[in-house]
Amino acid sequence: MDRAAAMMNRIAFAAAVGAMAAVALIAFGTLHAPAQASKEAPLVLEGSAAQTPWKRYSDWPQRDESKFNTLAKLASPPAPKEARKLPEGLTGNAANGQKLVADRTRGGSCLACHVMGPAGGADLPGNVGPDLSEIGNAGLDDAQLFNYVNDARVYNPDTVMPPWGTHGLFNDQEIMDIVAFLKTLKAPAKFKSELDDPTRRPAPVEKRDNLDDMVNPGMWAIDRAKALWKADGPAGKSCASCHADATALKTFAPHMPRWEPRLDKVLGVEEFIYRHAKATTGADWLMQSDENTTLAVYLRYIANGEPIDVDIASPGARAAYERGKALSNRKLGQLNFACTDCHDKSKGGLKWIRGQWLGEQRGQYDHFPTWRTSLQAIWDIRKRFQWCQVNIRADELPPDAKEYGDLELYLASVNNGLKLNVPGIRH
Amino acid sequence: MADTKPRLKVPSEAKKGEIVVLKTLVQHVMETGLRKDKSGAVIPRQIINRFTCEFNGKPVFSCNLEPAIAANPYFEFTAKVEESGTFKFTWVDDDGTVTTAQAPITVT
Repeated sequence: MDRAAAMMNRIAFAAAVGAMAAVALIAFGTLHAPAQASKEAPLVLEGSAAQTPWKRYSDWPQRDESKFNTLAKLASPPAPKEARKLPEGLTGNAANGQKLVADRTRGGSCLACHVMGPAGGADLPGNVGPDLSEIGNAGLDDAQLFNYVNDARVYNPDTVMPPWGTHGLFNDQEIMDIVAFLKTLKAPAKFKSELDDPTRRPAPVEKRDNLDDMVNPGMWAIDRAKALWKADGPAGKSCASCHADATALKTFAPHMPRWEPRLDKVLGVEEFIYRHAKATTGADWLMQSDENTTLAVYLRYIANGEPIDVDIASPGARAAYERGKALSNRKLGQLNFACTDCHDKSKGGLKWIRGQWLGEQRGQYDHFPTWRTSLQAIWDIRKRFQWCQVNIRADELPPDAKEYGDLELYLASVNNGLKLNVPGIRH
Repeated sequence: MADTKPRLKVPSEAKKGEIVVLKTLVQHVMETGLRKDKSGAVIPRQIINRFTCEFNGKPVFSCNLEPAIAANPYFEFTAKVEESGTFKFTWVDDDGTVTTAQAPITVT
């Protein structure tokens, strides 16, 4: 679709929801009257669109990461300005170091990103960082190795390597143990098969037909959404009361998220569903509830094949895009990763972190919400953001946080032109 | 069992004597009974333990399922059809729930 046609579609949609807004105003009086009701979909503007206060899912790792950056605040300790002297009186234990480099309880540890020879019998090393198999021959002294592990930013301010010491993932003794182990690495890695070698391991290709309802259990959401569409809410109306033909809304999802002046934030499909349903049918479909996610799948499903086309030109959207882009470069959490550290191909993108492939930002949006085979559940993009942050040991934000709106708009714009393909299916 | 209808792929028409392919997919967690939760307590087994298919009351295919079967069990099998009628599919849950679905076929 060219931009002019897209604009026409937006106008047509605005007119359609405008007509509906008038109906809603009769039903609700002035309670939820939006500023420009004649042109815009009715939304509940007050309150949170998610569980309040937000509480992390109980089956996710529960850690206190309040000392580190999130998308909403800066809290991490500053990077040291210069290299540290070797701590006195500590001797490294190479055998313990060999265990530590493969310790999955320390944020993945070294093997997540580095090939380290035949270290620890570990399979599936990653390749985000350089191959360290012969680091013991590199002529680095103990202090240099110590500082690389403790906080590599003293040598390279742009490194993606976590500051293991500064951020408290390893203590001085443990870093000395790792240094002692690194010095023993003097021979190229031998791999049992090409699958073990991250430089030869084939990139995963998703070949399943995600829109085949015999293949993708996420397609059950479509059945459920069609029933929800017709179910009356507390106000005695259903989605179908105003939108008898749901497929007429196929021009909606490709242009989401969008800057919403009434909320002074970027509004995504999921938050829209909550605020619009609350204002019209009275349904209470909080973000990440089953109903919300089900309808978020459906509103994109009916637009499948349409290219993503979000607005980043209007002033509010432009500013949000710029904020989102900056947030994608913000170092987050104890592991100190920015989105781009793992998903930009100039850094970790298109490489392996242990046995998991890191995709680029383009291609990470068109299939959301997606069925996750490993979890037997559908996740929307905000839940995916949250999980990324928990994994890099940062506190997540509530799903309706304005920072996620900015980040989602930036991500969607990077994916502009890709065709919606929802529900996706992923590991 | 999740409150979703099983998916069926059954041809609506076939020639007499034709071998048709039948596909079914049902949503179910298929909890093995071998996993433990965070507190160390065993998560009780809950699986679909039996699946049957009948055509006009006559057995076509049946099997017992064991805990090793993954979530959302999918079956694909064939049947030779000699007359018009209805395929009836049945899934039996450990908790006693019986889910059924039917699909008609016209044989010419």
